[in-house]
Amino acid sequence: MILQVEGLSKAFGGVLAVKDLTFGVLPGERLGIIGPNGAGKTTTFNVISGEYRPTSGVVLLENTRIDGLRPHEVNRRGIARTFQIVRVFGSLSVREHVLTGLISRQPSLRISSRQEDEVEELLEFTGLERFRSTLARNLTTAYKKRLELATALATHPKLLLLDELMAGLNPVEVEESMEVLRRINEERGITLVVVEHVMRAIMGLCQRIIVLHHGEKIAEGSPREVASNPRVIEAYLGEEYA
Amino acid sequence: MVTTLLSRQVSLRRILVLGAATVVALLFLSVPMGATDYVIYVMVLAFLFAALAASYDLLLGYTGQLSFAHGAFYGIGAYTSALITLRAGLPFWVAFPLTGVFVFVLAGGVGFPALKLRGAYFAVTTFFFAHFVYLVFLNSVALTGGPLGLSGIRPPEGFNLPILGVVDFGSLRIYYYLALAFLVAVVGFLYILVRSRLGRLFVAIREDEVLAESIGINTAAYKVLSFSISAGLAGMTGSLFAHFFRLLHPSTFTWMTSEMIVIMTLVGGTGTLFGPMLGAGIVTFILELMRFAPELRFIVWAVALLTILLFEPKGLAGIAVRLFGRLV
Repeated sequence: MILQVEGLSKAFGGVLAVKDLTFGVLPGERLGIIGPNGAGKTTTFNVISGEYRPTSGVVLLENTRIDGLRPHEVNRRGIARTFQIVRVFGSLSVREHVLTGLISRQPSLRISSRQEDEVEELLEFTGLERFRSTLARNLTTAYKKRLELATALATHPKLLLLDELMAGLNPVEVEESMEVLRRINEERGITLVVVEHVMRAIMGLCQRIIVLHHGEKIAEGSPREVASNPRVIEAYLGEEYA
Repeated sequence: MVTTLLSRQVSLRRILVLGAATVVALLFLSVPMGATDYVIYVMVLAFLFAALAASYDLLLGYTGQLSFAHGAFYGIGAYTSALITLRAGLPFWVAFPLTGVFVFVLAGGVGFPALKLRGAYFAVTTFFFAHFVYLVFLNSVALTGGPLGLSGIRPPEGFNLPILGVVDFGSLRIYYYLALAFLVAVVGFLYILVRSRLGRLFVAIREDEVLAESIGINTAAYKVLSFSISAGLAGMTGSLFAHFFRLLHPSTFTWMTSEMIVIMTLVGGTGTLFGPMLGAGIVTFILELMRFAPELRFIVWAVALLTILLFEPKGLAGIAVRLFGRLV
């Protein structure tokens, strides 16, 4: 297991957003997390990435506890993420943006030519090279998400948490993004944990899927198993369809 | 063909900029030879305010943290330097760097808890800190002389130079060069800093703190570092002020001083270093021109600030960019 979540709960006042959630992620796996709105998917991500402290339960990365660490420390241990509502450093050019991910933890004051090369390589990998000098704020949402991904990759993660990377993209962009994610996983060996509402994407990309509903895990299995699970259909469509 | 034409234009621009810079530099260097004492005196103050605005720009313009305490650190620097020389009997040249280090560390102690707050909450906290500092100046009679002020501060010790002879910092004209050299050093330092890796991390925090933290930047530590560097420079500026004016009074360091620095920086254009310096120069001179009606100045400044922010939120630097396509 690269990542283990055990008995995780997160309460906001009286509301339990995540209830006693347990799951594991295998190294090199592509795991999907789905569930209706308010199921606790983003909350789970925010706890893993250090945005929130869990109310109870533990999070282990390669058998070391990471719950309660601050987000930058979690990133240093090897987890990078993207955000549900896209976040970019608006006034930076695309090149500078990715470079920032690369230099965030370097002790040196100067930027080496090796780092410049790596930025170019990442821009090419994510298909952003023609926007090299464009300001991040001027990109379309699809490319902002691409930029967020490239910047996350620049921090050399072992595991990527992708929060609705496909939301708002057109079918062609979804197709392209899926291809990029598959290559990140297969060529770079980075484990992916994906929260997604675009079913076509998550079913096509992930090897295993966890379904959350009201903060609890209600199903787990291959995309096919999950899609035919009556509890999942009930959670999404209501009782009469199950 | 097109590229050579373009590069020629770029190099022409560079020559123009260098030429203009040389003219400005010569102009500044020659001021003490022609100008009256009064003009020189005002210009020394303008240099000090320019150093304050530029160092404040590191925090507001590059790191995105609105603080109303810059004037307080300026005041702490002034009193610290004065007390080191008066009470401990150390020379100015020891007190000056020591003050910078002291204020840097002190600001770290203030910034560490205060910067846990974000945005307006942090701003309000710094505002009250600035007022607290003023009250300390006013009421610690034993230390600061309270409302009577602190007098008898000596100018920096002079020295002998091979060709120029004795350099006496008691002379207004010599002090002019000291203040100018300090300003150039501060701006040079900040210019290098904001273009370094560290400066890029500050800008990342300004642009999006949550994203910055998520890609591995220790935002809490870097915000405190930016706050401390900025404050340390303000403290050294205060030291120069103390040994220039040679009389310190709490009323010089009321909350309004911090406010003026914020206004100078905003009017000049944040995140440009040069804009805030220009803002400082303009504000200082207009303040002098309006000496006949001190109460009216605040109204004029409020109106000027609102007007410029309504029409060009990026300040004078933004207007320059509109006119010339970019900033130098």
